[in-house]
Amino acid sequence: MDFFVQQLLNGLAVGGIYALVALGYTMVYGVLKLINFAHGDLFAIGAYLGLTLLVSCHLATILPPWLAVLCVFVLVALMVALIGYLLERVAYRPLRSAGRLSAVVSALGASIFFENALMLIYGARVFVYPDFLRPDFTLNILGFSIPGMRILVIAVSVLLMVALQAFMLHTKTGSAIRAVAIDQGAARLMGINVNRIISLVFLIGPALGGAAGILVGIYYGQIDFLMGWSYGLKAFTAAILGGIGNIPGAMVGGLLLGVVEALASAYVAVAWKDAVAFVVLILILIVRPTGLLGERTADKL
Amino acid sequence: MKKLLAIAAVLAAMLMTGSGQAWAADTFKLGLMCPVTGKWASEGMDMKNIVSMLVEKANKEGGINGRTIELVVADDAGDPRSAALAAQKLASSEVAAVIGTYGSAVTEASQNIYDESEIVQIGTGSTSIRLTEKGLKYFFRTCPRDDAQGEAAAKIIKTKGYSTIALLHDNSSYAKGLAEATEQALKGSNVKIVFFDALTPGERDYTATLTKLKAANPDFIFFTGYYPETGMLLRQKKEMGWDVPMMGGDASNHADLVKIAGTAAAEGYFFISPPLPQDMDTETARTFLADFKKTYNSLPVSVWGVMAGDAFIAIADAVQAGNVTGPDIAKYLHGAKDLHAITGDMGFNEKGDRVGDFYRIYTVKQDGSFVLEPKL
Amino acid sequence: MKLGSKNLRLAASALLGLLIAVLPLFLNSYWTDVCVSIGLYALLALSLNLILGQAGIFHMGHAAFYAIGAYTTAILNTMFSWPIFWTMPLAGLMAGLVALVVARPIIHLRGDYLAIVTIGIVEIVRIALVNDIFGITGGSNGIFGIGRPSIAGFRIAKSIHFYYLVWGMCGISVLLFHFLWHSRLGRALNYIKADDVAAEGCGVDVAYYKLVAFVLGAFWAGMVGTVYAAKMMTIAPASFNFMESVIIFAVVILSGGSQLGVLVSAFLFIGLPEIMRSLTESRMLFFGLAMMLMMVWRPQGLLPPLARSYEKIVSSLSKEAETKGEK
Repeated sequence: MDFFVQQLLNGLAVGGIYALVALGYTMVYGVLKLINFAHGDLFAIGAYLGLTLLVSCHLATILPPWLAVLCVFVLVALMVALIGYLLERVAYRPLRSAGRLSAVVSALGASIFFENALMLIYGARVFVYPDFLRPDFTLNILGFSIPGMRILVIAVSVLLMVALQAFMLHTKTGSAIRAVAIDQGAARLMGINVNRIISLVFLIGPALGGAAGILVGIYYGQIDFLMGWSYGLKAFTAAILGGIGNIPGAMVGGLLLGVVEALASAYVAVAWKDAVAFVVLILILIVRPTGLLGERTADKL
Repeated sequence: MKKLLAIAAVLAAMLMTGSGQAWAADTFKLGLMCPVTGKWASEGMDMKNIVSMLVEKANKEGGINGRTIELVVADDAGDPRSAALAAQKLASSEVAAVIGTYGSAVTEASQNIYDESEIVQIGTGSTSIRLTEKGLKYFFRTCPRDDAQGEAAAKIIKTKGYSTIALLHDNSSYAKGLAEATEQALKGSNVKIVFFDALTPGERDYTATLTKLKAANPDFIFFTGYYPETGMLLRQKKEMGWDVPMMGGDASNHADLVKIAGTAAAEGYFFISPPLPQDMDTETARTFLADFKKTYNSLPVSVWGVMAGDAFIAIADAVQAGNVTGPDIAKYLHGAKDLHAITGDMGFNEKGDRVGDFYRIYTVKQDGSFVLEPKL
Repeated sequence: MKLGSKNLRLAASALLGLLIAVLPLFLNSYWTDVCVSIGLYALLALSLNLILGQAGIFHMGHAAFYAIGAYTTAILNTMFSWPIFWTMPLAGLMAGLVALVVARPIIHLRGDYLAIVTIGIVEIVRIALVNDIFGITGGSNGIFGIGRPSIAGFRIAKSIHFYYLVWGMCGISVLLFHFLWHSRLGRALNYIKADDVAAEGCGVDVAYYKLVAFVLGAFWAGMVGTVYAAKMMTIAPASFNFMESVIIFAVVILSGGSQLGVLVSAFLFIGLPEIMRSLTESRMLFFGLAMMLMMVWRPQGLLPPLARSYEKIVSSLSKEAETKGEK
């Protein structure tokens, strides 16, 4: 039983990270129906930029750690948002009328480009975040000691998810985003500036990704130029699992994916965990073709 | 007038370099196949840096046996199909010998092409046993085989008196090969293997794996994979508060290991590896290290790039002895002995494997440095 | 559009065919090998084009079927010493069979949900191969010692032999798929791609036709796997990862969906990284950039298929009659 609960906790911690990356993924998808394969690399860029600011720009030594981290979160989110905005303008906007799959290839190209740009700028070696940035407390709940960082990760994901959902449901801009997501033409007729809304989405999504990158850097320490690809794929899986385009769905999907992986490691074999996770995903999709929280669409027959 | 003279001088210089290239007999074309892009780019860059530094130095000293070395680099991207094309590219550039590459599956995809073109290939990070068991005449390697390392590992496990051990690999051909070789070498001893599984490389969170490992209750862990995962395992093992000794293979011999794990978590970890040049008390190692520091202002990141340097030394030695074609070099290297390589004296047996017993134990000390233990 | 007319395309195809036939005379063995690689990807992309380009199924896991074909050949050849060409139909059948089994329950999924499932399939296959499933795949080292194929006593061993084998297969595939496009199946698939709800409404059995396209494409990819195994003589799971599927996918999307486009696009995708070899470390950077630029330059793909000729003359009324005759 202890073993099971411990693995469950391990799974939730990993899942929290997946959920965090999936939030930005699903946000972009919800509006443009575009699988942004470059999202994972924006996440990796966030991790690298965060490290540069903290270490090379000495933010971590000038300011107290919590303030430094806060500043870096804001700065990096802004920078990555800018990169995301440019990416949309250069690589996605010209393709908007051309069918969704063209933009997917462009996104794949962007992903390869970002990965190699990171490698050329920073070098191929791994980088490590300074250790003292990590909050060093553990919580004891029912006899299980939970590292503070894990709680922080989950808390941040939940907080962001709630904030994002509130923004989408209860603000005017949020309504505009939802309108664009449903029908761009109709939204335009209602006086919504569709291009501006899409640009906004491409500011928010990448900013979330960049922030997730820093969090992973602080939590696990090690970052490398290829980390975006694997996290991106996991996040995509998580978003699909929860019903892509659905913000709480990304959260649920991420946590579930993490738990499935941990339990598969525990009770099947560590070497087969990804295969088991995919099998579970396929089974869920057979039963619920649009994911756990995905809306049933009208075109299903 | 001065201008005219200058122009004439430039022209003469151009002619000389031009004709220099035309004297084919005075150059020796050497190929280097390494992953400068993709997941192993860090090793590939090191290989490229080391070999091009050695080539430059040899050329500055007037070449080898009067021949200028012309280095042709081809990227294999750590992928078998790219490696086959890279090999074909080098074969078409008419190199006589090739250094590389990293990764057994990648090396294997290129073996036949070099063999058919009668080009000597010296693998540098390709430890899979079967590579030299096929009777290929032109294949050599400067790295030891999985079974050699497996035996060394088994010996250490037995000497240190561990009884229930866990073997963890990452399903790469190298790490799995080493884990299986160790399992093989431990057969018949009273060491019990209570855990044998593979993690997925490239991830960050291995707590699920560690929790499972802990449940198997081993008194010793041997993780045969690479340094990034080793670092994460050590770090998360420490966070779990689980104090079990852990050992690694030579893929964890990397300058970044302690950085990833954190000094406190890495302390006491040990791994088996060929010795690093900074621990070798030979003339070759000292000069190499001084040159490397001068050129790149750092130390080589791992032993694998150094193995490429060893391969260069083997080929240079063959060329020095007047062998410039693939078949001649192969003939010279088979049974060659006492070559002064960077990682110690080097020789090749009939199969093309490096001979000699050069596995040593490194332990991570309190300050995070790797310290070479005395020979077992 | 400049390349819009049918005759122009026909002429371009003939010219391309001629060029491909005489090209090896001017190439050294390296470039011949590059062209063999291009040919293999062209074949894979042609088979994926049936699934993705014709039927509009968002399939990102084609490397799975390619892998199954390659491993079938490798296992039959090294363990049971079957001649390579005998294993080819079986490689195709195995791939087709697996495709049938896995696709049957999921073929009705919507685009992006299907995409992740196909990505799942390619990952599951790769993990199974790495974990040495049934003890016959050789784990991450893969299988070596695969023999060379021979036709009527002629042993195909050199790059140039493979060149003609691969491009010969390409020629045959182009013709076969061309006839398929003009058949009842081709029309049904195009209808499904354009609007699957309308197709279903008109009595086209959407799931059935999608499944046929999927299995047929997988069958073809399996046979390409045979050629790959014979060319490389050693295969490992690293050659069949998700990135491989992505490249095949991108070749098809960039092509625009026509067969001529697929060939041109395969040349760009596989040839470009080779041409850029002298850039060493930064070559993949420029490759990624080129991928984006090419898509931005031609958002509909290089050469989208020409409209079916009857669409020009008949009104929507006779179009309705056309689909009524569908079933």
